[in-house]
Amino acid sequence: MTALVVLALSLPCVYWTGGTESRATLEGAGITRICVAPGRADSWRAAGFTVTPLTDAELAARERLPSPGTTPRPGVASPTRAPWIDANGWRVTRHPTTKYVYDVPAGNAALAAAEIVAYGADAVLKIDPADAATLGRMLAFLAALPPADLPPVADVGIVDDGSAITGEVMNLLSRRNLLFQVVQAPSPRLPITIRIGAPEYPREEAADPSAFAQKIRRQVTDERRALRVYGSEVVICRLTAAGGRARVHLLNYGGREIEGLRIRVQGTYTDGEAHVAGTGRLALEDRVVAGDATEFTIPRITTYAIVDLRTAR
Amino acid sequence: MHRRSFVRLLAAGAAYARAPVAGAAQKAEGLPPLRVVSKYSAAKVPGMPGPYPGRVVSVKSDKVVDTTTGKADDAIVREMMAQGIRRLTNAATTADAWRRFFEPSDVVGIKVNCGGFPHCISAYEIVAEVVRQLTGIGVPVTQIFVYERFQNQMDECNYAAHLPSGVQSVAAERANRNADNSGYDPATYLEADLFGEEDTRSNMMRLVSQRLTKIINIPNMKDHGATGVTGCLKNIVYARLSNVARTHSRGKSHTYSVVGALAAMEPLRSKTVLQVMDGLRGVWHGGPFARTTRYVFYPREIMFATDPVAIDRLLLDIIENERRAHGAISIWDRSPASLKIDNNRARDADPNVNIIIREPGHVEYASTLGLGVYDLKKIKVERLTV
Repeated sequence: MTALVVLALSLPCVYWTGGTESRATLEGAGITRICVAPGRADSWRAAGFTVTPLTDAELAARERLPSPGTTPRPGVASPTRAPWIDANGWRVTRHPTTKYVYDVPAGNAALAAAEIVAYGADAVLKIDPADAATLGRMLAFLAALPPADLPPVADVGIVDDGSAITGEVMNLLSRRNLLFQVVQAPSPRLPITIRIGAPEYPREEAADPSAFAQKIRRQVTDERRALRVYGSEVVICRLTAAGGRARVHLLNYGGREIEGLRIRVQGTYTDGEAHVAGTGRLALEDRVVAGDATEFTIPRITTYAIVDLRTAR
Repeated sequence: MHRRSFVRLLAAGAAYARAPVAGAAQKAEGLPPLRVVSKYSAAKVPGMPGPYPGRVVSVKSDKVVDTTTGKADDAIVREMMAQGIRRLTNAATTADAWRRFFEPSDVVGIKVNCGGFPHCISAYEIVAEVVRQLTGIGVPVTQIFVYERFQNQMDECNYAAHLPSGVQSVAAERANRNADNSGYDPATYLEADLFGEEDTRSNMMRLVSQRLTKIINIPNMKDHGATGVTGCLKNIVYARLSNVARTHSRGKSHTYSVVGALAAMEPLRSKTVLQVMDGLRGVWHGGPFARTTRYVFYPREIMFATDPVAIDRLLLDIIENERRAHGAISIWDRSPASLKIDNNRARDADPNVNIIIREPGHVEYASTLGLGVYDLKKIKVERLTV
C-alpha cells in the first residue's frame, strides 16, 4: 500500500471519500488514480480506477500541510507591502522524506497539486469535490510535463536544529526566493551556511525571521542570487540545474493570472521554453544574457508553470 | 543567445554607465542607491527642461469654471490654451506654436491624470483642445494616444467620449494589482531596493519607450500625501512606470530622489516636450484623490512650460497657500505628531493629518538632475488673463 504511493510519487494521490456513485465526478475530471479507505478499495477498482488503499491511521500519521495561497492579515505590520503567503515548499525541502497530507478548501486543489510536484513531495491530497475538474486539468498538465531529474540549486545552506525558529527562517527565505539547502555542515559549494545560534547568526536576530532573511539577502547580494523574480511578489520558485540544463518551477500563490513575469537565473542559457498550466507551451520573450545571468519574460502564468532552459553545446 | 539580445545588453550597460543618477553620490547623501537601465540616449535638446528652462506662462480666467457646478467653459479654455502656447513660443499663430513641438509624423502621447476622478482630472476641454490642435497641424488621430497607467481609471474618466474617433485610449495595466506587466518594457527600468521589497524594478511603459515620439504632460494642481504635490514631475513618472507604489511605506517616502531619477530616465526625458498644467480645478488636501469636493478649489489657471521643475516650484506655493488659507499643516510638515501612518480615513477627515512624511523637496532634487529651474528668482513667470 505504502509502496504504491511511493511509486506514484511524481503526482499527488487524490484522497476520495465518496463512494462509487460519485465516479462521474472523477471520470469527468479525468482523474483515474485515487487513494481511498481500504473498505472502498475493491468497489473503486471494480469501477476501473487505480486505487491505493489508505487507512485512517495512515492518513493521520501524515504531516498535515496548510492550504497554500495568500492570506489577508489586516492590522498585522509588515516591513514590506508583500502579501502574506502560505506556502509549503520550505517544509518539503526541510523534510523531504516526510509523508504529507493536504486538506484543501475549494479553489486550492490545483495549487496544492502543483506544489507537491514542484518539490517532489510524497503527499495525499484531500479536496473539495467541487475542485475535481480544476484538479483534473492540473494533473493532466503535470503528467504531460517533460521529464527532468536535476538537482536543486541553492544560494545558502542552513543547518537544521529542528527548531521552530529555524523553520520560520526557512519559510521567509523561501518566501523571498532565497534558495536554501539543508546541510549538516558548511559546504564549499555554498557561499553561506546559516546555523542559528552561531555568533554571526544569533538566535535573537532569527526571532525576527523577516529581518533575518533580509540580512541573508544582503550577504548573498541580489546580483549573485541564483534566481530573481520581477513583476510579482506572490510567485515562489524552485530551481534545479545541472550540465547546461535548468528547470524553474514557478508557483503563483496570488490566485490571479500574471502577465509578463520577468525571471533572472544565474548561468548562461541559450534556449528555453515555458510550460504553463492551462495554456501549454509558450516561447520565452525578451531573453537577454546579462553578465553571468539569463533573463527572460514568461508571457503569462496561471497557477503553475515550469521553464526549461538549455545551453547550446 | 540571439545576437540582437546581446547587443541590447551591451547598450543597456553603456546607458547605465552614463546614467544621470550616480549611485555612489546618492549613498553619500543617505539616499537609496538607484540604478537606471536604458538603451536610449538623450536627444540633443531633451524635452525636459526643453527650449524654455525657467520659463512659465500662466493664463487665468475667472470665468473659465463655474465654481458652483464645477463645469468648465469650452470656449474660454480654447482661448486660454491659444494665448498660453503662443506666448510660450512667441509664435505668430497658434498652429505655428504647436508646430514648434510637433510634426505630422510624430506619434504623440497625452499623459492625463485620472487619479482625481471624479472632481479633479485632466480636463476634458484641455485634452480635447490639445487633440484639436495636433490634428490641426496634421498629426493623424490614429497617432494620438491618451494614456494612463491603469485601464480602470481610464474607463472611469472615459476621455474617448470627448475626443474624435480614432484617438487611442490606452493603459499599461488593467488595474492597480501588480499582475499585468506586459505593457512595460523589460529592458528599460530603474532598479532600487527601497524597503527590502523583492521586486526591485520599475519598468517604463512600452508605449513610452517604444511607440511614442513626443509626449504632452497634463497634470493637475494637486496635493499629494507622499510627495507634497503631484505636479508635472510626479504625473510624468508615476503613471509611466510599474511598481512605483513601493516608494512609500509605513510613513516614509523615497520619492525625494526617486521622482527626479525616474523623470531623468531616457527616453522619457527627451520625449516629454510640453507641460500643460491644468489648474482649472485643484485639490489642496487628500490628493492625489478627489472623491469629494471638500478639498477641491478653483485656481482657474492653466500653465504652459517645457520645464517641469519650474511649474512644480510654483505649484508648491499654490498648494501651500491654499492649505494655509484653510488652516491646514504645511506640505513641509515633518512632525511625528501629524503622522498617522497609513490611516487614510484620518487623513481624509482631517487636513492636519499626514499618512506619510511628505517629500516636496523632490522638486528641488529634480532640478539637481538638470530637469529644470527651481530657484524662484530665476523662474520667469508671464501672467495672462482671459
